[in-house]
Amino acid sequence: MNDKLTIAGRDFTSRLFIGTGKYASNEMMARSIEASGTEMVTVALRRVDIGNPNDDMLAAIDRDRYLLLPNTSGARDAEEAVRLARLARAATGIAWVKLEVTPDPYYLLPDGAETLRAAERLVAEGFVVLPYIQADPVLAKRLEDVGTATVMPLASPIGSNQGLKTRASLEIIIEQATVPVVVDAGLGVPSHAADAMEMGADAVLVNTSIATAADPVAMARAFAMAVEAGRMAWLAGRAAERRIASASSPLTGFLRNG
Amino acid sequence: MPSLRINGTDHAFPGDTLPATVAELLNALEIDHATVVAEVDGQIVERTRFGETPIREGQSIELVRFVGGG
Repeated sequence: MNDKLTIAGRDFTSRLFIGTGKYASNEMMARSIEASGTEMVTVALRRVDIGNPNDDMLAAIDRDRYLLLPNTSGARDAEEAVRLARLARAATGIAWVKLEVTPDPYYLLPDGAETLRAAERLVAEGFVVLPYIQADPVLAKRLEDVGTATVMPLASPIGSNQGLKTRASLEIIIEQATVPVVVDAGLGVPSHAADAMEMGADAVLVNTSIATAADPVAMARAFAMAVEAGRMAWLAGRAAERRIASASSPLTGFLRNG
Repeated sequence: MPSLRINGTDHAFPGDTLPATVAELLNALEIDHATVVAEVDGQIVERTRFGETPIREGQSIELVRFVGGG
């Protein structure tokens, strides 16, 4: 099936993007990435631990196979996000960034106003911007208008594994979007990912539910299958939902007495 | 002793000798150049310029790298 996802001119065969946080080891992370079939993985930027300076997780990621998508996690406003994006570009040599501005440490919900401000500046600087946002259809359109490459609305709070709590708003975003919609955050089990893809999401981003599963490698594979199944179902066109039964077997020729 | 502020903490360098460049600083801290991004007083230093970017007493240096994240 020739069903590529294109973001900013780059084609992806897999519609599952993987976060690299919370793995028990770099080796487990690498094996899970491999099992997921993904082509893009997110990473974060943090200060080097001067006392332990050479713990390098990038060594475990084959940059020829996986596009690195640095995030701006930790940014509390647009200025901090832009600074992190510039540092990430200096590190990767490419200008792709997952823009996230999360001033609230409890729910880690993104600040839409600051995200929009940062997106405007980063697009103007030539960045390919993938913004993490609330499932806010109006904000999604505003971001599209300033030139973001995708929108990435959340299903539920980061790492909460609650699934598609924002379903109704996600449906509107998907209906209206002219850029790819990547459902990000809160997908707890493969059926959540399949559900998002059946709704017409273009891709999903998963981290916690794979990294903290009892068997991350198997869970990565399960998510890959769910994303593929959900995508295929979306393309197949779902049958109509009905309030009452509609017999699958003929309603004629019954064997009845008399 | 001359000092630099590195990642928010003051670091003193013994023997009155501050590393002369970003590259020398990374060597002194035994940090692999290939995995790190440097900012000197808020200005990003491209990796190719580590060797030619001077460091002076009292500057604020940020050294960051990628870690796992979602």
